[in-house]
Amino acid sequence: MEIDKIIHEPARLRIMMILSGVDEADFNFLLSTLGLTNGNLSRHIEKLELAGYVKISKTFRGKLPNTSYQLTKKGSKALTGYWENLNVIRRTGRV
Amino acid sequence: MNSKHNNKSQDQNTERLKEIPKWTRKYAQNRTLTILVLMAMAMLFSMFVAVLVGFPLGLAAIGFWKGNMVLGCVGIAVLVAILIVLVISISKFISKFGGKNRGLIDQLIEQRIYGKEGTASMPLPKITKKMRGLDYLLGAICLIYMLGVNSLCMMGYVAFKYLQPLLALYIVPAFVFEYFLLRPKVGPVVLICPILYTIHAILILAGVPIFFTGNLGILNMPVPLIGYSFLAYVIGHLYSRYALKKLKCLAHPEGDTADGD
Repeated sequence: MEIDKIIHEPARLRIMMILSGVDEADFNFLLSTLGLTNGNLSRHIEKLELAGYVKISKTFRGKLPNTSYQLTKKGSKALTGYWENLNVIRRTGRV
Repeated sequence: MNSKHNNKSQDQNTERLKEIPKWTRKYAQNRTLTILVLMAMAMLFSMFVAVLVGFPLGLAAIGFWKGNMVLGCVGIAVLVAILIVLVISISKFISKFGGKNRGLIDQLIEQRIYGKEGTASMPLPKITKKMRGLDYLLGAICLIYMLGVNSLCMMGYVAFKYLQPLLALYIVPAFVFEYFLLRPKVGPVVLICPILYTIHAILILAGVPIFFTGNLGILNMPVPLIGYSFLAYVIGHLYSRYALKKLKCLAHPEGDTADGD
């Protein structure tokens, strides 16, 4: 039983939990909600995107650029699997 | 003992984390400040147009009634000029914010209002062409029904007292239908409007005098509808603030490493 290390990191877990509740959220929302620095948040999202858990969309709102993020199907499955594995480990104490 | 305490603490932490999606959703569904601003802008614009058109129209009416043809013609001329300017202005507005730019004004207002807070949004509902057609049809029927009931009141067949309860017969189910059509984009807070509208109608039928009479009787149509809609959106906005506060409490990570590993 393996814990997904990509998701297990506290900030990334919270990013994925936020994205699992909505259709999409933009960079500013994640930044203001999580209380991370710009660089920190960007690095965490980069890791999640490389793992295929998060999809990035760059659009314009009026004339201003906007970057928004969505949880992918793979990410959603991985998150569900993460909680299931964590429950099993907690119950049995086995890794 | 220490291990038991750690397990309990971990369980509590897990429960807290599992609440994050719920509060994010509640926040996203109740971001109604943009709608409130648009409603306020629409009301102010309507009042402005009413005054702009009403003044020369009144002037013309008085002129013709008193036999003052000059005043009457001046009033008509000013009214025509104002209507031409209004038509041109509205056309320019529609060309800038309508068509392929639809939604642009919402985005601009949202950017201005929410700014640094950012955006989180729920998915748009999957509405089939049939459902959309039905929605438009129900909207058209609603308009005809409202005009019909209003006409009955103005012609004296129905007392103005019963205008709101009669409108509630169609408007309340229409509102509920719209809610189920727009879920999960909107939250249940929008149902506050039809609930209050129903209570208002029942109270009128029970004899409570919460209606306009005489020359103001026509206000029984827009005032409760706009008033309760406004109230529902204000409550939605306040709830979204509460949801965001809860979310920030839950979402601030502890002991995060600086390099993001």
